[in-house]
Amino acid sequence: MSSKSRIRIDRSLWLPLGVVIVLTIFFSLTSNAFASIRNLTIVSAQASTLLIVCIGATFVVLMGSIDLSVGAVVLLVGAVSVKIQNGTGIGGSIIVVAAILGGLLGLLNGIIYAYGAVPSFVVTLGSLSIFSGVALQILEGRSISFESESLDTIAIGQWIPPFQNIALCAIAIWGVGVLIAERTRFGRYMYLIGGGENVARNSGIPVKRYKVYAFTLSGLVAGLGGLLAVARLGAAGPTLGQDLLLNSLAAIVVGGTSLSGGVGGPHRTLLGVLIIAILDNGLNLLGVSAYPQLVIKGAVVIAAVLVSQNRRQSVLIK
Amino acid sequence: MRDGTLGDAGDAKSPLLTVSRLTKHFGPNIALDSVSFSVHRNEVIGFVGENGAGKSTLLNILSGMLTQDAGQMFLSGEKYQPNGYGAACKLGISRVFQEQALILNVPVYQNLVLGQESRFVKAGLFLDRKGMIAAAERMIEAAGIDVDVRRITGEYDFSRRQAIEIVRACLTPTYLLGIQHPLVLLDEPTSALGIEDEAAFFRLVDRLKRQGAVVFVSHRLSEVLAISDMIYVLKDGQLVAAVEPASANETILHSLMVGRERASDYYHESRQRRRLKQSSALLEVRGLNRPGKYHDVSITVHAGEIVGIGGLLASGKGALGKGIVGLEPPASGSVRLNGYITNKPEIRQLIRAGIGYIPAERLTQGLIPQFRLSWNVSMASGHDLFAGRSGRWFRRKEERLVSEYVSRLSIKSGAPQIFCHQLSGGNQQKVVLARWLCRKPKMLVLDNPTRGIDAGAKEEIYRLIRNLTLEDVGILLITDELLELIGLSNRIIIMQSGRVVTVLDAAPETKPSEHDLLALMLPATPQMLTPSKS
Repeated sequence: MSSKSRIRIDRSLWLPLGVVIVLTIFFSLTSNAFASIRNLTIVSAQASTLLIVCIGATFVVLMGSIDLSVGAVVLLVGAVSVKIQNGTGIGGSIIVVAAILGGLLGLLNGIIYAYGAVPSFVVTLGSLSIFSGVALQILEGRSISFESESLDTIAIGQWIPPFQNIALCAIAIWGVGVLIAERTRFGRYMYLIGGGENVARNSGIPVKRYKVYAFTLSGLVAGLGGLLAVARLGAAGPTLGQDLLLNSLAAIVVGGTSLSGGVGGPHRTLLGVLIIAILDNGLNLLGVSAYPQLVIKGAVVIAAVLVSQNRRQSVLIK
Repeated sequence: MRDGTLGDAGDAKSPLLTVSRLTKHFGPNIALDSVSFSVHRNEVIGFVGENGAGKSTLLNILSGMLTQDAGQMFLSGEKYQPNGYGAACKLGISRVFQEQALILNVPVYQNLVLGQESRFVKAGLFLDRKGMIAAAERMIEAAGIDVDVRRITGEYDFSRRQAIEIVRACLTPTYLLGIQHPLVLLDEPTSALGIEDEAAFFRLVDRLKRQGAVVFVSHRLSEVLAISDMIYVLKDGQLVAAVEPASANETILHSLMVGRERASDYYHESRQRRRLKQSSALLEVRGLNRPGKYHDVSITVHAGEIVGIGGLLASGKGALGKGIVGLEPPASGSVRLNGYITNKPEIRQLIRAGIGYIPAERLTQGLIPQFRLSWNVSMASGHDLFAGRSGRWFRRKEERLVSEYVSRLSIKSGAPQIFCHQLSGGNQQKVVLARWLCRKPKMLVLDNPTRGIDAGAKEEIYRLIRNLTLEDVGILLITDELLELIGLSNRIIIMQSGRVVTVLDAAPETKPSEHDLLALMLPATPQMLTPSKS
């Protein structure tokens, strides 16, 4: 599952772990506000949306494909949810709507990719644009606020302080993701298709069908993430999910799931998300302005992958 | 064996190329074993040998695409060790590849000057298209083939494109690189040529002879006999004979190419089933067709029978195997396995009906080397054996069943958790076999199951295959190894250019010889073409 050397804890695992620890220590020392309870709440909440969205996308990457449209799905599902909620006030069951909508968007991606034989990069690049366009049209370019008591509780209530409930949801979804990856046929097939699509096909695995499943899952989970993000922010605005594209890929890759597929998994994505979230939060607290932040984040991502790559096994680097 | 003395390049008597004790291993496989020979100017040297004899490896090393493990090469007296094909070209050795190395969507002239574009650059920046076209046209004219260099390469048929590739390899050294004495390596160049292109080809070889030298590898023994000055025979990686064409014929070459000692009962022939349940045809293939690969093929395999399929390059046997199991569905025809019959064979349905398939390319198609043994074994059974309807994967059952088959097949150092790239080739192949055996298949289609495996592991696999037949499993064995084909099969099917040419009985008392099979596999000598030898 994770990596190929004999020792159980290998470089590609302790490296991300080490980075999390180092970053935490670094920011605790350099910023007064970092190591506080209040900040813990904030970081965990910020990380949660990212984590939720990344879980679904991790399966797609595990399979050797890529989903660039997750941010756009968050935006579109968030926008639609707000409209529906404000229009009909259906409360908690908006969750189901969000999941279904996200799933349908993912299904669309999956079908075009698997049966149209269009590379996933291209499909999701196109759908990212389409979904964003539709969402912005719905929002008419402005922020719309969102009122729902039940969802407020789910998102920003605090059953286990100091963490907001969205963090608990995120951990729960992460847990389910890990179980799926390790214990189910779907999860096993994701690894197999990512590790050797030809071999999988020669063994009778219905590759096309599972590609569609993976994208549907990615869309569904992104949809949930979108709804929870909107619930937490109390509004859906044009900038919802805009940094998710870069952040989700970065988190997945830094965590140790290889873009060529077959290696890593949702259990690793948690580490990647922590790194990205702590980095974002810490740099903010240090007063680093937005542009240098981008530079630093990019450098960290490249460095993390460079160091942890198991070069002997590299198959195809695009 | 002629042994040239080393002199300087200008001396017509000294060899152009000297190869000394060239050796190459691929893991436990010895592809070339201390091969030594030389090529003189104005000579055509022919190389013959069966599949796996080492011809491709030799050409790969000569053209710089592989590095030898031991041995040396000298070109015009200087040490020759190119680090890539481009370097080899610059030094004067070029090659016509077995599978065309042309870019199909660009004009012919671009293919002809491929790699040498830097000679046609004006002011360091702009491509001199007129210059390229002129150079290309000169080459085409010299070769005497009918090609418009401005047309897109892909528009020409396979045979004409092969002719273009030959022109490129033969004439680029002199026309573009200014090499005085080029050495051209021809790797099965005529297998796809039509008649007029063949005539042009022989003219080209003639022309090359006068300037440099040619190494000609081919299965068409008649051609090799007709145009070579000297023929070397490769067998199992060794140079076993040097033959003067005047004193040889196809029969003599055949016997030099094959004729090995068979270990007693290496193929477990004593256990070959004699009485098969004739009424129970396990697999029936009728009229299978795939344009360009195979035509109108019908095969029957009974329970407990091993049917072998043999044939040379482009015989279609590999594609046929993929067609029967539904990986590359045929255009027409039917496949019946037990009670299940279909016009559109599809791998998943056939697996459910009881088939198993082991592809030829073990490391890229057969298993996933970076994954663990248990995963490679269980991957064909995720829909029934190892996961329930809810999708839950039965990890303990996987571990247990995989361990069982590891010991049953004696997969050495094979624990379920070990990664397959750590296993030897033979053990890896047993893993692939285990994947199907744990499903208790009724029929196995095997494509070159012992390729790249050492002799000891091969024997174990032959033993396993025999055991399967005793349990009424039917086997379709597609293989390039003649001895294996003969030793294992109850019946042998020979294919040529996509058609079944003959079916032989291969009961233990009436086993055909390798000689017989080779004669059936080789294309008949065309009567109208008699290449001249000057």
